[in-house]
Amino acid sequence: MKKLIYAAVGILAVALLLWVGAQHFAHDQDAATGTDKSNRVLNLYNWGDYIDPTLITKFEKQTGYKVNYETFDSNEAMYTKVKQGGTSYDLTVPSDYMIQKMKKAKLLLPIDHSKLTTYKNINPRFLNQPFDRGNKYSVPYFWGTLGIVYNDKFIKASQVQHWDDLWKPEFKDDLMLIDSARDVLGFTLISQGKSVNDTNTADLQAAKGKLDALMPNVKAIVADEIKMYMVQEEAPLAVTYSGEASEMLTQNKHLHYVVPTEGSNLWFDNLVIPKTAKHLKAAYAFINFINEPKNAAQNAEYIGYSTPNTPAEALLPKAIRDDKQFYPAESTMKHLQVYQDLGQTKTEEYNDLFLEFKMTNR
Amino acid sequence: MVKKNKPWANVYLVIIFIVLYLPIMYLIFYSFNSGKYMHGFSGFSFKHYVELFNDARMIQIVFNTFVVALLSSLVATIIGTLGAIGIYDTKNPLVKNTILSMNNVLMVSPDVIIGASFLIFFTMLGIGLGFGSVLLSHIAFSIPIVVLMVLPKLNEMNKSLLDAANDLGANSWQVLTRVILPYITSGIFAGFFMAFTYSLDDFAVTFFVTGNGFSTLSVEIYSRARQGVSLEINALSALMFLISLLLVVGYFLISTAGERSKAKKKGASL
Repeated sequence: MKKLIYAAVGILAVALLLWVGAQHFAHDQDAATGTDKSNRVLNLYNWGDYIDPTLITKFEKQTGYKVNYETFDSNEAMYTKVKQGGTSYDLTVPSDYMIQKMKKAKLLLPIDHSKLTTYKNINPRFLNQPFDRGNKYSVPYFWGTLGIVYNDKFIKASQVQHWDDLWKPEFKDDLMLIDSARDVLGFTLISQGKSVNDTNTADLQAAKGKLDALMPNVKAIVADEIKMYMVQEEAPLAVTYSGEASEMLTQNKHLHYVVPTEGSNLWFDNLVIPKTAKHLKAAYAFINFINEPKNAAQNAEYIGYSTPNTPAEALLPKAIRDDKQFYPAESTMKHLQVYQDLGQTKTEEYNDLFLEFKMTNR
Repeated sequence: MVKKNKPWANVYLVIIFIVLYLPIMYLIFYSFNSGKYMHGFSGFSFKHYVELFNDARMIQIVFNTFVVALLSSLVATIIGTLGAIGIYDTKNPLVKNTILSMNNVLMVSPDVIIGASFLIFFTMLGIGLGFGSVLLSHIAFSIPIVVLMVLPKLNEMNKSLLDAANDLGANSWQVLTRVILPYITSGIFAGFFMAFTYSLDDFAVTFFVTGNGFSTLSVEIYSRARQGVSLEINALSALMFLISLLLVVGYFLISTAGERSKAKKKGASL
């Protein structure tokens, strides 16, 4: 009995010590930013590692708000937590189709454009998108594309300029696909001259039929690991997002990224204010802060995705700014398509077709 | 026991240990990489450790994680032990089996389901998510583990011990503190440590119930992994591995020292 009591007291003591330690570090962060414990906080709910941490410190120093930074790993997970409303987030960063879904579910607060001082910095090309006409609820944060990554040790640039090139018999067992129904069916639809938001069952069946013919070339259908595999040259060819690609490219000089000229998916991650937000002033301060050209440029350089901020783009190092892989030419940009929320039944139809494709015998 | 020389058994053991430890060693090795990635070792450097110690948010999360793990497993151990004694004392076999099965259902039900249920439960009650909700849910999912660790010890106990204590006039408090608890101490400790490790590495439940700026290691590392885990995490893992190694070695030294002194005492009294 004595032993147990000693152990329990010991554990409590250690826990207390650690708690004091944690408070100390929390306090340290406060002290570093000169904030007090009042209501001056910003609850930011963002993707993991999706902002340069030094920018958070800078924001705290400049404005006196303390940032509570929390992270999620998928739009759906974020949606669930915001919808349940157990915690109040002041800002979060959903992708395009999820903004539409959150809007439908009445989870967002409209944005007061009169409070945005740096909104004018955003390239009009990325505003007024179908998922949020007039940007009533969202401000662009980053954007990117879906494209083809290839390794120049094995494949020449001229060999992969179009989606149709993926079907070439010479690429047998060479291709890695990102595990996403929308993306894979999407590029197949584009290769057939259709829209990525096509909901016509006959078109979808035709796309599935064409996809089945791709199977001999497919080496694997993977998720985030695609980055590691490509860097380690497990496969010479992959279909993935531009942000993933930019990381691969910095790790392996032989990799290149192509956005096919006939079009591709253009995606957005946008800042939105959830209904549960309690610190609106802080939220607006942050949106304004992150869209200051210097900050946006620093963030874009850190993350590797493309910034929608025009003056920030000009501030980026020339090598990044002129990189056609991530800031494609106007002729390509013209053909890019944005995903829209398809609704429950059509989303299921996409998923089912993709599942059937995945089960195809090779 | 007869000691037989079995070389194959040893080879097998060595292979198992290599398989278990190699990934950890690989991870620790790269925490000293001066480069940014887990491939292409470009030189020895402590820069990821410096980075880690400068990351106040990360350190705070580490401390939070341990506070939750320690407190939740302590509370769960107390509740679970009492629960196990209660189940042990239950005379009606039907009731006993029902309670046990309910306990086991909680053990085998998937973490996501438990996590989602907690999220709905807490928001329904209007409890704000954060430290409290994480602690409560960790206590809840640790209790069945403790019960399962303590029950066998109780069943192992000779019933005549209890009868003897009662015959000699011990009241129920004395039976509990002087007979039962000392007998099942090892089971209680085992339960505590199991609950502790469960709480430390739980992701699924924790993910649903964190909020308001409170986060734990598993949630943080998982969401960072989308961008590729930075070597800062390697440095952190290396430190945590080292600490657990020291704890195990310390425990081993203390327990063998205790045994030796016991053996000495016995020798003296003979």
